Amino acid sequence: MNACCNALLTLAAAMALGAWHQPATTRAQVRALADAGRLDDAERSARAGGAALTESLGEVLVLRGRIAEADSVLRRAVEVDATAGRSAEAALAELAMRRGDRSEAYRRAGVVTAAYQQGAARWSSDERVAAGRAYVVLGTRSAPAVKQALAAFDDAVAADANNIEAQLRAGDLLLEKYNAPDAKVSFEAVLKRAPEHARALLGLARVAQFEGKPDPLPLLKRSLLANPSLTGALELQSRFHLEAEQYDSARIDARRALAVDSASLPAWSLIGAVARMTGDSAEYRRAQAAATRLSSQPADFYAELSEAFVRQRRYGEAMRLARVALAVDSTSARVLGLLGDNELHAGRIEQGRALLERAFAIDPFNLWHKNTLDLLDKLRTFTTIDRGHFRIVAPAPEADLLATYLLPLLEEAYDSLAARYHYRPEGLVRLELYRQHADFSVRTIGLSGLGALGVSFGPVLMMDAPSARLRGEFNWGSVAWHELAHTFTLGLSESRAPRWLSEGLSVLEERRARPSWGADATVEFLAAYAGGALRPVSQLNEGFVHPRFSNEVILSYYEASLVCEMIEAQKGSKALVDMLTAYRDGLATSAVLTRVLGATPAEFDKQFDAWLRAKFAVPLRSIQPSDGKTPAQGAFVSTMVAGIALVDRNQLDSARVVLQSAQSLFPGYAGSGSPALYLAHIARARGDLREALAQVQRVTARSETAWEANLLEAELRESLGDSLGARVPLERMLWMSPYDIPLHVRLAELAARAGDHAVEVRERRAVVALDPPDPLDAHYQLARALVGNGDLAGARRELLGVLEQAPAFEKALTLLLELRKRATPN
Amino acid sequence: MKRRGPLALAIIVPLAFMPVTARAQQTHVLIVTGLAGEAQYRASFLEAAAMLSDSARKRWGVADSSLIVLGEDPAADPGHITGKSTREEVGRAFLRLSRRVAPGDVLLVFLNGHGAGEGKTSRVNLPGPDPTATDYASWLAGFGRQTVVFVNAASGSGDFVPVIAAKGRIVVTASKTGLERNESIFARPFVRGLTGTEADADKDGRVSVLEAFDFARKEVARAYETDKKMLTEHAVLSDSALARTVSFGAPRGNTDPRITALVAERQELESQVGALRGRKASTDSTAYEHELERLLLLLAEKSQAIRAAGGKP
Repeated sequence: MNACCNALLTLAAAMALGAWHQPATTRAQVRALADAGRLDDAERSARAGGAALTESLGEVLVLRGRIAEADSVLRRAVEVDATAGRSAEAALAELAMRRGDRSEAYRRAGVVTAAYQQGAARWSSDERVAAGRAYVVLGTRSAPAVKQALAAFDDAVAADANNIEAQLRAGDLLLEKYNAPDAKVSFEAVLKRAPEHARALLGLARVAQFEGKPDPLPLLKRSLLANPSLTGALELQSRFHLEAEQYDSARIDARRALAVDSASLPAWSLIGAVARMTGDSAEYRRAQAAATRLSSQPADFYAELSEAFVRQRRYGEAMRLARVALAVDSTSARVLGLLGDNELHAGRIEQGRALLERAFAIDPFNLWHKNTLDLLDKLRTFTTIDRGHFRIVAPAPEADLLATYLLPLLEEAYDSLAARYHYRPEGLVRLELYRQHADFSVRTIGLSGLGALGVSFGPVLMMDAPSARLRGEFNWGSVAWHELAHTFTLGLSESRAPRWLSEGLSVLEERRARPSWGADATVEFLAAYAGGALRPVSQLNEGFVHPRFSNEVILSYYEASLVCEMIEAQKGSKALVDMLTAYRDGLATSAVLTRVLGATPAEFDKQFDAWLRAKFAVPLRSIQPSDGKTPAQGAFVSTMVAGIALVDRNQLDSARVVLQSAQSLFPGYAGSGSPALYLAHIARARGDLREALAQVQRVTARSETAWEANLLEAELRESLGDSLGARVPLERMLWMSPYDIPLHVRLAELAARAGDHAVEVRERRAVVALDPPDPLDAHYQLARALVGNGDLAGARRELLGVLEQAPAFEKALTLLLELRKRATPN
Repeated sequence: MKRRGPLALAIIVPLAFMPVTARAQQTHVLIVTGLAGEAQYRASFLEAAAMLSDSARKRWGVADSSLIVLGEDPAADPGHITGKSTREEVGRAFLRLSRRVAPGDVLLVFLNGHGAGEGKTSRVNLPGPDPTATDYASWLAGFGRQTVVFVNAASGSGDFVPVIAAKGRIVVTASKTGLERNESIFARPFVRGLTGTEADADKDGRVSVLEAFDFARKEVARAYETDKKMLTEHAVLSDSALARTVSFGAPRGNTDPRITALVAERQELESQVGALRGRKASTDSTAYEHELERLLLLLAEKSQAIRAAGGKP
């Protein structure tokens, strides 16, 4: 806190203790005490200030949750002092809003704004803040009032540049209306005057959360240090704990908030959410009763609960709660939007759209809803393909191509997962694919900028289409498999499995699906693990929800998959299923570990640590521990650098020796710039094709995006006369990018050579779907493949289509004649 | 006289629907490659020039004396480059070809390199002083009775179109205006289309300028999309009607009257397919398909007969 504020506090505190009697306490001093969390002192000061500080007393009582008393005091303030009465009137409007009495809220707010409109120029800075607060109340039913509120706060700052309250309220409103950058400016302006201002720090923490910044917790902790009684900060911290499934901590913070303000609906909502999630029905009923006492329309109570369940991926429960909220208040934009999002996540597109349109009509500032409604318009142009257990929804130009490959893969995954998890989703599993990553992101979170490749809402999956990214950036087959695995693990556990377990299982299932799929050990992972930058199993969820460095989430996925791998290796795959069912039964992680694995969390952490260190004993010896934020170092890295330098200088014999040495330090490494790939190229240059093949296979067997390595493997296999085997790497490449026409042509030719006409037809169809440079020839080649596959009618259709466009096409005419001969052999 | 009716139809209708082969006339080719600047561009320019030159000589039957290839450094590819691409040499090449052409011949001019400038002063960077679009227009003045295909595949080439365009000329540029100055990738797919078979959309064995242009434009768009880049070059073609009729490919040289008659019958069948296609919307789909197949089978048999007689369909 800066010197100015300290002086104010000292003065106010001294007066509160009766040490000073002159000059009289001011409203600013009471507010400063309140902002420092010294609510007892603030209340004493306000009471000592007499009639002039009646409104201030009312505001302090509101902060303490003494609503009835505050209401009475504020009413008195309205009667006593015309000037202070404006702030009191605005505060009374807010109180009426809190208890669900909207008509009273709007009436009182209207009194303030009507007066403001008639004589704003004569209003003091504090009075303009009161006008802004009244407009905020009116803004819940009228979008223009939101702009008037901001204008009033700006006017307050114009009248007094030191009016911190005006800047804080402007920041809160801007953030509430989804304008994080401007909100940030407001909060930062406050912090320039008062560097440790608790509400401004809380504002910045909320901005960071809104913007998805890695860790808003340090800001939040600073805020609570400045004001340990700041209920908003305690509630936000509780929300963070809840998100990390740290229910005890979440409950403690919510209770701390209630100790300050027993009438805080958000705090009761958090208590209710924790209780409902942990199955504490008595506590839930208490919270519900409190919410009902506090407001005649406690829709926000159910909305908060619903949002908490969404964050825990318990979508069914979230939907039920959102419906309750809507029954309580059918005009709340928050609730309409929440239920709309839930409907969309459940795949009920038209129901979701209708709700979002209603929400957007009430709150046209909502970016999420605007983005989502725009996207839903685009979604209408997509193609839907229903087959087997799946509904594929994809952009029309590539829907058929993607479905050709996806549907068989998904059915294979479905059978495999259903057998392992003894669970079958109801109805069709819906998978949406997006050509623009921004569209996928909007569909998922309402905003662009989501870092994920895919997402699962249970039986509704969304992901980037392979066209959304550059070739080699991801493997769309493994992403689809990963997301579908969530459908089963979330389904079996009734969405109660913690995120680390669900993600760990999905990555493990990727590796099971295809040996090269799924995350693999990297230098970065081992360095971070050895350096303690990654969390032990008992805290692994934190690595997903509150990462401390940019790559922690990605590394946590892999760590979680290793945990599952260890459990399966030591206890059998049934143990993983038992864990899911234990979570379904409502057990917490510690109880699950004890019941299924026979270990306490601390014991299990130790077991995993020992297992991992044994598994990676060789590479760990040559990788220096890191904090996860700095590049990994150690003997392996330095040896690789030396080897690559020799390659660059074309000293291939020396390079080979050094790279072999690097390979011995980390034999399983197949990531970017692995020794194996260099050694493969060197071997090929020396003419040792078998060694080149052996080396490149070390990469292709473990890396799911190694386009060039797979291409090289195919070439080497063909050079060594293994044209049948060359199809294997080419098939892998299809899952890196299905858009490469030469790849499909090559696969078709190899398949034809092997007499595998079904694959030949599939590949020729893929070429046709890709709008090739020579479309008529592509159709002709498809016709030939169809003939090979015995589909003469299909071949005839293709040929007639081709020749209709190009009757001079000699090869096609010849094939048409041949077909006629086959149809009439004699 | 009555018998001449169908015969006249057999000859005239195909001419109306089919591209005109650039021979009986002679084809003349001038390829000019500018300053590369970097090794990657040098290789790319040389490759395009070599592909075009090889096709002209080997597939289109262009005489050596009608094929001029000028480059930044003739020593870089002496097998193809016949001279240095200076302003003076380019002017001399036009003059030389203007003395060889006959009325009705086709002249293909292909410029490749880095473009600069705007409007009439647009140019392709060559060793020494650069000729402007106006210079090229003046050099082309000597080809008023020939069909000229003028291709500027350089970046920022769009402003050549209004300067060069004239009756009997097809102007192709890699960009829409002189402002599209980013490196262009148009040359490679255009040459690939013109010299290969992929761009032959109607499968008549020859590639028209329009077919090569359409092919290149599509492949350029595909390349940008694959690389997730915004399309920064928009190729332009000045006269698509004329471009449809000018094609490059092996000449159909059947002199045997038996074969000529079979070819005419085949062309008649092709025109019947075209006419049937025109009636598709108003014809029952099953009847349409049967008739289409019947005609196509007749066509196939006719082609077989032409081949059996030693001709090319």
